[in-house]
Amino acid sequence: MAFANTFYNTIARRNSVFVTSIFASTFGFTIAFDQGLDKFWDTWNKGKQWKDIRHKYVEES
Amino acid sequence: MASTFKAVKKAVTLPPTVRTLSSGVPHPTLVNLAAIGGGGHHGHGHSGPRSDVQPKWSGGVTRTSSGLVSKTFVTSPVNTFSQQRYIHTSTSAKDAPNVPDFSGYRASSPSNNRALQYFMVGSLGILSASVAKSTVTEFLGTMAASADVLAMAKVEVDLSSIPEGKNVIIKWRGKPVFIRHRTPDEIQEAKSTNWKTLRDPESDDARAKNPEWLVMLGVCTHLGCVPIGEAGDFGGWFCPCHGSHYDISGRIRKGPAPLNLEVPQYEFSEVDGKLIIG
Repeated sequence: MAFANTFYNTIARRNSVFVTSIFASTFGFTIAFDQGLDKFWDTWNKGKQWKDIRHKYVEES
Repeated sequence: MASTFKAVKKAVTLPPTVRTLSSGVPHPTLVNLAAIGGGGHHGHGHSGPRSDVQPKWSGGVTRTSSGLVSKTFVTSPVNTFSQQRYIHTSTSAKDAPNVPDFSGYRASSPSNNRALQYFMVGSLGILSASVAKSTVTEFLGTMAASADVLAMAKVEVDLSSIPEGKNVIIKWRGKPVFIRHRTPDEIQEAKSTNWKTLRDPESDDARAKNPEWLVMLGVCTHLGCVPIGEAGDFGGWFCPCHGSHYDISGRIRKGPAPLNLEVPQYEFSEVDGKLIIG
């Protein structure tokens, strides 16, 4: 209840603040979403990607 | 007799005459509890004889010339007023009879509900904004050169095969590129020139990342001929078409050309001693 009221009073009460915070969180959300998806992809395809098997074929000079 | 008589028990499911409200209060649908019974002050619940005076028309004892007469009307005659009987067993016509009871669906906490609504609206905004953003970026990304085109646009030159004081001309994106391995004397000469007085003032440090190597496009800035190396009055390049002289740093010194020879983007790969143009 208190949290809900804090949320409403700080963010949702003024539309300017609301829209600004939406755009700000979009920035963070996009980064988090991309990184999370990349991480998932790497975990899902573990051992199949070039960066996982590179050491078998390329010797560091 | 008692042994033969059996009480007959029969289960009868009667249709419900009373439904229960969500608040738990029984609600007889067909009884209009809101109706006001007629009769004014004839309230129920009193005890003892009625306190008011019985009207004459309802009977009683009257004195006449022939003695006392007692009259009792089984059905009182209607005289002064009649009233509509509002109490009845049929359903009353309500204002909006079919509106269901929503109290079970109402939010218990309006402030939680409000915050949740704004949160959902905001989350949808965040999602759609990121969708819009990635749509635009991906669309613009389709206009960029693809990786194979970018790879084709680069040229690698093995610098160890170029001895000091020699020119090499290679082709890069359809244009000749001059690479000169400069001697220390030439470097000294290129650096000591008073470049601020030149037609296109540019210092040698700005033109060559590594003073040993001079990399530039071999296209005369006048009309696009290819200058000849190790020629001209300044020991650099000479354009045979209209006689432009470039010095050992590729700067225009004499002739019609307006600008110095252009320097492309390049970098040195220190691991294997290669020059990557592009």
